Amino acid sequence: MKTLIKSALIHDPNSTHHGKRRDVLLDKGIIAQIGTGLADPKAKLIEGNGLMVTAGWIDLKANFCDPGVEYKEDLTSGMAAASRGGFRKVVLMPSTWPVIDSKATVEYILRNATHPQVEVMVAGSLSDKMEGKQLSEMYDMHSAGAIAFTDDKKNVGTELMSRALEYAKNFGGLIMSFPYEKSLSPHGQMNEGAVSVSLGMKGIPHVSEEMRVQRDLELLRYHGGRLHFMLISTSKSVELIRKAKKEGLQVTCSIAAHQLSFLDEDLRTFDSNYKVLPPFRTKEERKALIAGIKDGTIDAICSDHTPEDIEHKVREFEDAEFGISSIETAFPSAWTALSPHMDIADVIPLFTSGPAKILGISQPSISEGNPASITAFTPTETTAFSKDTWKSKSYNSPFLGKTLNGKVMF
Amino acid sequence: MLSVKHLLGIKDLTREDIELIFSQADEFKEVLSRPIKKVPSLRDITVANLFFENSTRTRLSFELAEKRLSADVVNFAASSSSVKKGETLVDTVNNILAMKVDMVVMRHASPGAGIFLSRHINASIVNAGDGTHEHPTQALLDAYSIREKLGSVKGKKIVIVGDITHSRVAISNIYCLQKLGAEVMVCGPTTLIPKHITSLGVKVSHNLREALEWCDVANMLRIQLERQDAGVRYFPTLREYSLQFGLDKKLLDSLSKKIVIMHPGPINRGVEITSDVADSDQSIILDQVENGVAIRMAVIYLLAQRIEKRVN
Repeated sequence: MKTLIKSALIHDPNSTHHGKRRDVLLDKGIIAQIGTGLADPKAKLIEGNGLMVTAGWIDLKANFCDPGVEYKEDLTSGMAAASRGGFRKVVLMPSTWPVIDSKATVEYILRNATHPQVEVMVAGSLSDKMEGKQLSEMYDMHSAGAIAFTDDKKNVGTELMSRALEYAKNFGGLIMSFPYEKSLSPHGQMNEGAVSVSLGMKGIPHVSEEMRVQRDLELLRYHGGRLHFMLISTSKSVELIRKAKKEGLQVTCSIAAHQLSFLDEDLRTFDSNYKVLPPFRTKEERKALIAGIKDGTIDAICSDHTPEDIEHKVREFEDAEFGISSIETAFPSAWTALSPHMDIADVIPLFTSGPAKILGISQPSISEGNPASITAFTPTETTAFSKDTWKSKSYNSPFLGKTLNGKVMF
Repeated sequence: MLSVKHLLGIKDLTREDIELIFSQADEFKEVLSRPIKKVPSLRDITVANLFFENSTRTRLSFELAEKRLSADVVNFAASSSSVKKGETLVDTVNNILAMKVDMVVMRHASPGAGIFLSRHINASIVNAGDGTHEHPTQALLDAYSIREKLGSVKGKKIVIVGDITHSRVAISNIYCLQKLGAEVMVCGPTTLIPKHITSLGVKVSHNLREALEWCDVANMLRIQLERQDAGVRYFPTLREYSLQFGLDKKLLDSLSKKIVIMHPGPINRGVEITSDVADSDQSIILDQVENGVAIRMAVIYLLAQRIEKRVN
């Protein structure tokens, strides 16, 4: 089917149309025509105030729970949700059942994930079965198309991280780390601070993240290699990574979009929709994250999409799982939080060139004949999120019932 | 009338609420001294005591309070229940409510369990302890006992000694005593005092003698080894704990003034306090237990006034 995007500001430094208002006609997955005054009676029309077109957005971290836990999400519903969120490429975590730790499981995902607009990429596990013991067959998975390696949010011991960083250098593999030393707060529920004390909840201290950032940076300094921190949440983590980058280490980092939207204060109602890992921190930490985005220390914003069904989420806080079904809200929530501080032109790279660079992939420019891997949206309109229009199978989101700035149009 | 529909935590109460509960408890305390210790006030109310965590004394105290108000009472304990079979809390409670229960008294291991439940069910809820969050009736009976012994709580200095990190009694007590105008200090080993506790406006001490010299009342909490996570213990042995933070008669008698000794029970004799301290004339431990029934009667009676079928 043809799609005609009318009068959109093209934002793509690699395109000759950059900074110009154009009509863009898409046909069979290709940018068929770019011009002004285009018309096509058969095309689906996309119009809106302040419409913009950018290179297709990339999500560095999502869980579609397929294979194994399809009642929370599957490849089809996950891609529909990703598409609604404006994402054209999504990196799926290996936390499925079975774990994505072999060529066969990588191929299962790549073969079954078909969507006209969304391309799925796979992160293979770092360790066999994600047990944290022996290396997985990283090279074989790499050859089958795995784009990075991670044990998602599972604990990675020092020996394993060291070995993985060193081993992945063989083939230039990217290691994605979730910095979290769980043994310091095995039952931690939320940010450790004044709020956790008053709620009687077990806290997760900053240090449990920062000591892991520090450890992994030391290992990177020792071995070399490519290291990406998927989710950080504290000012000191930002500072450590800022210094490491200055030093010339090949390190990058991203944050979850919702990390910018909420604070530990929001947990006062014991609503488990606010239970996330890393936890929502304080105003000061959030300020440091925004500063880290502004100065380029933080390279990308991801969704950390974590669908959870009622059985696992709508229950007593301590028993509820961590995470938000967030791929549909990622951009609007980030834009809502960042628009007081930044121009849209500075936010776009966090969803486009930033993640592309981390993954080491190139994005085709917005030019006639190139693949239609583009996102159309408007920063000036708003999106109201409700269950009626929700695409994910899971409703664990504090944004349901709320209206956010920005609207994804294609 | 109370400003709240449920008693989920002291945090939600106003000073006026607390004073209303106290004056109601005064009346019930008088009832409890009569030969027939019973009033017909709650003949139309059914209360379910849902204890998802072990408790003997709190459950007994609630049950007595309910019976002395003539409410119908059903008891439910988790060990013999469907909870172990994987039924969710909301389902379990809704099943019980389908049998037309008006009020739920709940103890649960998870902080905020009562608050969570209040969003999903219709009955009025009394929190009888939610994990390490709050234990509001304990705080009310503690403050009530101080008021009874010293005439008032306002301006008094109270130290809470022991495991603050794993205690719901401590948080509720801090809120309650502060609302009534008392000064609060917490005292215990550094590993058992939350790092950010001063954000609640309390003083902190790690020296028992210093804390006792400062206070008018010492509330000696039970050391609850069962609440601590598996892994490295927060202190090496009970013996060593008691060396630093145990209160014996010698220390009590050496203080420059006579202080009041409290304990929420059950006492580990020889750990938090020695027997001669527990049984001394400075101890009001048994008054606390007696007042517990009156306070719980007052809470249930006042919350029942807010139940819709009675309001209309």
